[in-house]
Amino acid sequence: MIETILQTLLNGAAIGGVYALVALGYTLVFSVLGVINFALGALFSLGGYLTYLLMGGRISANGGLPGWGIPFELPFPVALLLGAALTGGASLIVERLAFSPLRKRRAEPLLYLITSLGAGLVLVNLLQMLMGAEGYAFPANALAALPDAILIMGARIRSVQVLLLGVCAVTVIVLTLWLERSRQGHALKAVAEDPTTAQLLGINSEAMLRVSFLISGFLAGLGGGLIGVSISLPGPYVGIGYGLKGLAVLVLGGLGSIPGAIAGGLLMGLAEALVPSQLSGWRDALAFAILFGVLLLRPTGLLGRRMVEKV
Amino acid sequence: MQQRERGVIRLAAVLSVCIGALAVLGQQADPASKPLPAATASNGELTIGAVIAQTGNANLYGQDQRMGIAIAQQWSLSQKPERPLRVQLEDGGSDEATAISAFNLLINQGVLALLGPTLSQQAFAADPIAQRRGVPVVAPSNTAKGIPQIGFFISRVSAQSSVIAPLSISEALRRDPQIQRVAVFYSQDDAFSTSETAIFQRTLRARGLTPVTVQRTQLADNDFQIPITAALQQKPDLVVISIQAVGGGNLVRQLRELGYQGQIVVGNGMNTPSIYPICQRWCDGILIAQAYSPELSTPINRTFQELLRRRNPDQPPSQITAQAFAAYQVVFESVQRLQRRGGLTGVTLEQARKALMKELLGGSYDTPLGPIQFTPDGEVIQGRFYVAEVRMDANGRNGRFAMVRNTGAEEKAP
Repeated sequence: MIETILQTLLNGAAIGGVYALVALGYTLVFSVLGVINFALGALFSLGGYLTYLLMGGRISANGGLPGWGIPFELPFPVALLLGAALTGGASLIVERLAFSPLRKRRAEPLLYLITSLGAGLVLVNLLQMLMGAEGYAFPANALAALPDAILIMGARIRSVQVLLLGVCAVTVIVLTLWLERSRQGHALKAVAEDPTTAQLLGINSEAMLRVSFLISGFLAGLGGGLIGVSISLPGPYVGIGYGLKGLAVLVLGGLGSIPGAIAGGLLMGLAEALVPSQLSGWRDALAFAILFGVLLLRPTGLLGRRMVEKV
Repeated sequence: MQQRERGVIRLAAVLSVCIGALAVLGQQADPASKPLPAATASNGELTIGAVIAQTGNANLYGQDQRMGIAIAQQWSLSQKPERPLRVQLEDGGSDEATAISAFNLLINQGVLALLGPTLSQQAFAADPIAQRRGVPVVAPSNTAKGIPQIGFFISRVSAQSSVIAPLSISEALRRDPQIQRVAVFYSQDDAFSTSETAIFQRTLRARGLTPVTVQRTQLADNDFQIPITAALQQKPDLVVISIQAVGGGNLVRQLRELGYQGQIVVGNGMNTPSIYPICQRWCDGILIAQAYSPELSTPINRTFQELLRRRNPDQPPSQITAQAFAAYQVVFESVQRLQRRGGLTGVTLEQARKALMKELLGGSYDTPLGPIQFTPDGEVIQGRFYVAEVRMDANGRNGRFAMVRNTGAEEKAP
């Protein structure tokens, strides 16, 4: 019985960790710019494919460059980090193309949603043209150093799930420490609080904005690489579902709240894991019902703050 | 009468006239009423459509099917046809809406017949359109119950799951007669998987085995830790899976990773070499019933394999590729027979489509699947089926369906 509970909790926490990563990606951009970056799901897919290619994976016969692959193979941890870093770079390009022009024109926030959605769709379609629509699995030796599964207090857990949970936890801790302890982290928080005052205090708000996009893309790319090694890449749209879940977690945790994104991600993951398998068809519905219930009781989300409209 | 009411009536009248005019124009534009091009016109080529998944999860099957149709075309040219066939390929996606859209597009363009769609779920949505418009459809890979029964114009070369699926269960029980506890997994939002699992479960019950757990998943699921955890608590000694290729491959892999060591029987959704890269070394040993054997030694099967090898030496011959070849072959041979008898001379496209369907249903075909015929309602009659075991290479990236049992049609579902 205890094994079952532990297994279920770990399953939920592992997937919840990925949701939290995506939600943190949304949170960083939302905190600084006050808008949602809808391209994040596509960046998640990109991260998965980049990690696959960096591990020496080849493009299939249906892709734009059949049989092509980079001429070297990186071990999974390096490929994962490099893939996430490159996704962070792609996120900067998204910022430059879909956000920057509108910001200069002081456009309405709604327009950012449309341009970021458009950028995400373009990215997914480019992936489909280049890689084809079929699934890609990471090489069997990606985690060769690890056993298939490990026993934790009698519960048998896939090693990759533990890895997923561990990487997500470390990432969240590093990000939190960076925000709380580093000079740049403080600067980012200052810009999120009030960009004009931050600018007057000598903080380069534009640079901080780009940093938020870079980290946001990095987190999405990391999520994509982790999901890729766990369950393969079923197609270029793999990130869209995770992007939507991340968005729900963002709202559940409270818009702009980093602890809220983490708590929301774990809650969403656990809620899904606790749905009995006989009701698996209702998994998403139940998860969103929880979101609905929480918002009825706490419209600002679990740990969100009430927004004050300044006039 | 109020001025506003008069306005409404006028508007309604104008709209009615417009709709009527469009209907008349539409009828005139319907290519079905146009005469079929004569054999002497240009090269006498006739166009058929193929609605094959090129996007989404079903693309895994679609790419095998495209290969099957391409090599069948190559083979057909070597037959010196009086009426060559041109194939217009359209992406059927992996959902119903895309398949419907592709069917409509090709029918409106005046194709003589259609091959496809890839999934049974799509066929239930798109085939009624072809039936209403009187366009022959030959399904290369739809195995769910009731598809040819959609209507006269719908047929398939893919034998129904109820005929094939039980064979792999029989093989698993032959290998281990002590099996008592069976866990079943299936995608509850996929018509084919739900149809196939019903057959699997009926077969199990007929053998005195009641599943100890039935785990329902979603078509888009790829993370199965939770249902696997629930299933393994029941300590099964056989797992039976009806899930499409990508999800099924992931399920097999995760089952093995989580320590399941018993036999695994999988359904037709995983009947493609595309599962190898997904479940890799964990695929080894899974049992699957098949309607095709690469080991069948007939001239047409040898030709099929030779053409496939020339096009892609790395692609092993699979059931889905062979069925796509057979679907094209059936239409091609029917067209040639009809042409020789004059059935395609001086007729409209509509008449040609109807004649082709009659011809198709009445014929016998020697295909890579073996000899096949059709029942009057379009169901394939095939004599021999097989049970294969997946055997992976040492590198865990490539494998093959190794035949372990060759059974006649007499060994059917109980």
